[in-house]
Amino acid sequence: MHLPINTRPFWHMAICICAWFCWSCDDEVAIDTGSADPLLNIDAWINNKPEPQRIHLTLSQDYFDNKNLPPVASGAKVKVTDSNGRVYEFVEDATSQTGAYTWQPQNGEVLGSVGTAYTLEVEYHGETFIATSTMKRVPPVDSLTLSFQEGVGMMDDMYRAEFWAKDIAGKGDTYWLRAYKNGRLLNKASEITSAYDAGTSSGSGFDGVTFITPVRMGINANDVDDDDRPTSPLVNGDSVYVELHSINLVAFNYLAEVVSQANRMGGISELFTSAPLANVSTNIVNTNANGSAVVGFFNVAAVSGRGKKFYF
Amino acid sequence: MTFNTSFRPGIQILLLLLLASLAAHGQNRFTISGTIKDLSNGETLIGATIFVIENKASGAVTNAYGFYSITLPQGNYHIEYSYMGFERIVKQVDLRGNMALDIALPPLSKVLEEVKIVDESRSSGAKNLEMSVNKLDIKTIQKLPALMGEVDVIKSLQFLPGVSQVGEGSSGFNVRGGSVGQNLVLLDEAPVYNSSHMLGFFSVFNPDAVKDVKLYKGAIPSEFGGRVSSVLDVRLKEGNNKKTEVDGGIGFIFSRLAVQGPLIEDKASYLIAVRRSYVDALSTLLTSNNFGLNFYDVTVKTNYTLNQKNRLYLSGFLGRDNFGLSDDAKFNWGNKSATLRWNSVINSKWFSNVSAVFSNYNYNLGFNEDENNQYDWRSSITNYVLKPDFSYFTGRNSELKFGLESSYYQFNPSTTIGTTNGETVDSSQPKKYALEMAGYISHKVALSSRLELQYGLRFSYFNYLGPGTAYTYNDTIPGRKRTAIAEQHYGSGESIASYSNPEPRISTKYQLDDRTSIKASFSRTAQYVHFISNTSASNPLNIWTPTTNNIKPAVGNQYTLGYFTDLGRDANYEFSAETFYRNTSNEIDYINGAELLNNDRLEGDLLSGKGRAYGLELYLQKKKGLITGWVSYTLSRSELKVDGINKGSWYPTRFDQTHNLKVVGSYTINEKWSTTADFAYMTGTPTTYPNQRYLSQGVLIPYNTNNTRNDARLSAYHRLDLALRMEGRTVRNNGRPRKNKSYWVFSVYNVYGRRNAFSTYFSQSSDRVTALQPIQTQAHRVSIIGSMVPSASYNFKF
Repeated sequence: MHLPINTRPFWHMAICICAWFCWSCDDEVAIDTGSADPLLNIDAWINNKPEPQRIHLTLSQDYFDNKNLPPVASGAKVKVTDSNGRVYEFVEDATSQTGAYTWQPQNGEVLGSVGTAYTLEVEYHGETFIATSTMKRVPPVDSLTLSFQEGVGMMDDMYRAEFWAKDIAGKGDTYWLRAYKNGRLLNKASEITSAYDAGTSSGSGFDGVTFITPVRMGINANDVDDDDRPTSPLVNGDSVYVELHSINLVAFNYLAEVVSQANRMGGISELFTSAPLANVSTNIVNTNANGSAVVGFFNVAAVSGRGKKFYF
Repeated sequence: MTFNTSFRPGIQILLLLLLASLAAHGQNRFTISGTIKDLSNGETLIGATIFVIENKASGAVTNAYGFYSITLPQGNYHIEYSYMGFERIVKQVDLRGNMALDIALPPLSKVLEEVKIVDESRSSGAKNLEMSVNKLDIKTIQKLPALMGEVDVIKSLQFLPGVSQVGEGSSGFNVRGGSVGQNLVLLDEAPVYNSSHMLGFFSVFNPDAVKDVKLYKGAIPSEFGGRVSSVLDVRLKEGNNKKTEVDGGIGFIFSRLAVQGPLIEDKASYLIAVRRSYVDALSTLLTSNNFGLNFYDVTVKTNYTLNQKNRLYLSGFLGRDNFGLSDDAKFNWGNKSATLRWNSVINSKWFSNVSAVFSNYNYNLGFNEDENNQYDWRSSITNYVLKPDFSYFTGRNSELKFGLESSYYQFNPSTTIGTTNGETVDSSQPKKYALEMAGYISHKVALSSRLELQYGLRFSYFNYLGPGTAYTYNDTIPGRKRTAIAEQHYGSGESIASYSNPEPRISTKYQLDDRTSIKASFSRTAQYVHFISNTSASNPLNIWTPTTNNIKPAVGNQYTLGYFTDLGRDANYEFSAETFYRNTSNEIDYINGAELLNNDRLEGDLLSGKGRAYGLELYLQKKKGLITGWVSYTLSRSELKVDGINKGSWYPTRFDQTHNLKVVGSYTINEKWSTTADFAYMTGTPTTYPNQRYLSQGVLIPYNTNNTRNDARLSAYHRLDLALRMEGRTVRNNGRPRKNKSYWVFSVYNVYGRRNAFSTYFSQSSDRVTALQPIQTQAHRVSIIGSMVPSASYNFKF
């Protein structure tokens, strides 16, 4: 559900209050969901940052396999071809535990340019998987500021980072905001923030203006303390680096699916946010329609970014 | 236009039958007609029975306005008037011409009510033509143990056969495998588009103002239409026209106060009932933030008797829920409705009612960080209805009903004004308009002393009107988002798409003997406005959307067969067994990741499929004695088949419950104390489990290699509740009766504190891990009421 406001603090509070009244409760339970044949997962989000680009090939695991990293899909041939015929080879990194296939840029080289279309081709165990993506435009990040919300009652003081940027005029730009706190990528499902133009959904109509508040603030870490109460995303001296990644419309829709399947807050929020479990779609297809199933996604992004160290 | 030609021969036969019965006027037959009222407060009695002692085949039941009409050959008769909880009155009548006979029945005193054996067999289910109907008396509702001690109309429906709910706290109810949005909920004929307060814990119906609650689960009479599953017909009290009366109550969650009384003696009376919750005050205390949830509602009604034959009624409802998110965010929603009715007794055989109805549901969501950064979003559905209805009591136990219903809708998907960094953007979506019209005719006739028949036809028509834009969508793999490839604009009042459906309704009763009958029915219903919700429970943001060129009307066919009997020496047990089968077309489901809000291409995210539901309902009730109560058991299945979900095969709905058992028992200990217990057992509702997982940019995503939906089940649900009622003192110290009445209700909900699963969800743990550490997954069970909930409430009347 793409709400124009962030309801997360509200649900945190609601869950706390309900727990206080001994109303709703959320218990971890043991469920045997069985085992199944693994499928190939192609995690291919590449961009025009001047650094090595990686595509990860792994196999899916049983849902409750909490001991092992996903098995690496080794021995594949991975390449990206642009609409001008230029080929970017991704070479398997034999030492990688995460199934990385890497393209190493030459000095000053970047992968791709805005407006160019790219095709991913992966050959694995005799099957060929392909996907396409076009690199979209991205506006610059102008600045980062500090936002303070005074703590009241059960809520502590909250310090958050807020970035300022303006969507490019013209409808249909979609972005994924990726933030790093103290150099570490924030990659929880609850930390996924995407934007459609300057708003949060296609119907929001915010085109060519400054990103709206929930987007601007959607770059903060989402952590809780031992009592499951939200903690302040920033403490004195933390650094935040925010990146705007241009994504394709199908990638925007894909992220909406990921959020609906992976971002579960539990407790009383289940009443209103729980969509049925369904498989997240993919833009990667097996050239043999009767071949093995595949999951994952391919997107080529243009990236802009800016960082700041916060003292208060 | 689609007119199912296969019904034509059937309709012709029925028309002949109708003409034959209308022509069959005997000689020297006269009509007795009038209104039956409660002597103590002047309230008309709905469903009171009229019984002719000399002529066992003759009888009548008062309609929704307390009116009856009965036609008999000239002669001398003893006519008996009765109603549950009231003393029986027998009138001797020398019938030589048409006559008006208004009756006021005195209520049984408290003591008599519980001790005296009241003969209710004449109004029992076995004698009545109606089937698949449950009537809940407000007194019965008030006896049930309730969550937080607050009696609730919709929660008490849960104890009836064929009615279920996804879980505690989910708003609405499911009838015979239909979804929440397939129930027509009427408050004095005004459609209620969101019947819950506080996210579903309470309903909008104030029990102090409610007179009568009737749930039609099948065999829906032809005067009702517009939803495929059921009709919940809630009627408000008119207001005491004898004396001023104050009712109220103080509970843990909210307080109630209702005042009613005469405005002009025997001509006009009023009722005002208000409720206000105070949980927000409590949470403000805890958080001292604008956080919290509160609601209020106001129900008003007034009536004016113009003359002996004409009466006007005006009722209104206003309710609002306020969800305080924080100081700078707001979220509130509510219904408002008004109904103006004009009852007219044209003559002893003709009764008419014309209703004009307004109903609106809206919500408002927004934040206001500062004047340069704010957002306001409003959405609503507004409905105007005009509904003339006529009844013609033809004599010989035959009644003809016909009428029209015209309904104009205005849908406002979103009016959104946002300001970001000082720039204001209006991204409102265009409103949508529609007109729904229906005409109906229905005839009830006794073909013999054993066989009774009611048949009718409703013809409905829907027009999706401009101004608006009609989109054409591409075809894609079922289950994927479709994109608009063409659009066409329509001017104001132009028809964008129109549909019509003939809806035949027929029900019949065959009386096997004085106590036993068999009933069967068929009803077709069409639904043109759709409730859009893809979460387990509906929420206040869920919107209603019209049938369009892309969204087709849902059409349901329901077949029922039932056996009804009275048992025991004094017929104080009532037993019924009913089976039903319903199929529906154009059921709506959703693609994964569907964007249901603020999406002008919503149609591209919807899927359409078929539904079917079938089951067996058993019901045994003990009606008299110190111990009363009932057992209700339903065995049923509710399934959908949608291209793009579950590989296109049938799958159970989220609210499918194989077994549903409810037991309710009340025991009157003495004049001061009485107790009620209920027990519920339901099969766990369906859910879907993942069997694989994979990572996408570090986020763990669950995957189900079978690509199925709802093939697993939550654990079974069961619960026991207890209530103890203590009557206040009825006499003063000096021995005189007290004018004021009061009682306490102490209740315990979920006595043994079972954590019944509302849902099971799967997620990664909230810890941050590096790319070289395996992510930990967990399964969680959410229980909405996870403990025993004790409560007390104090209720008074003076």
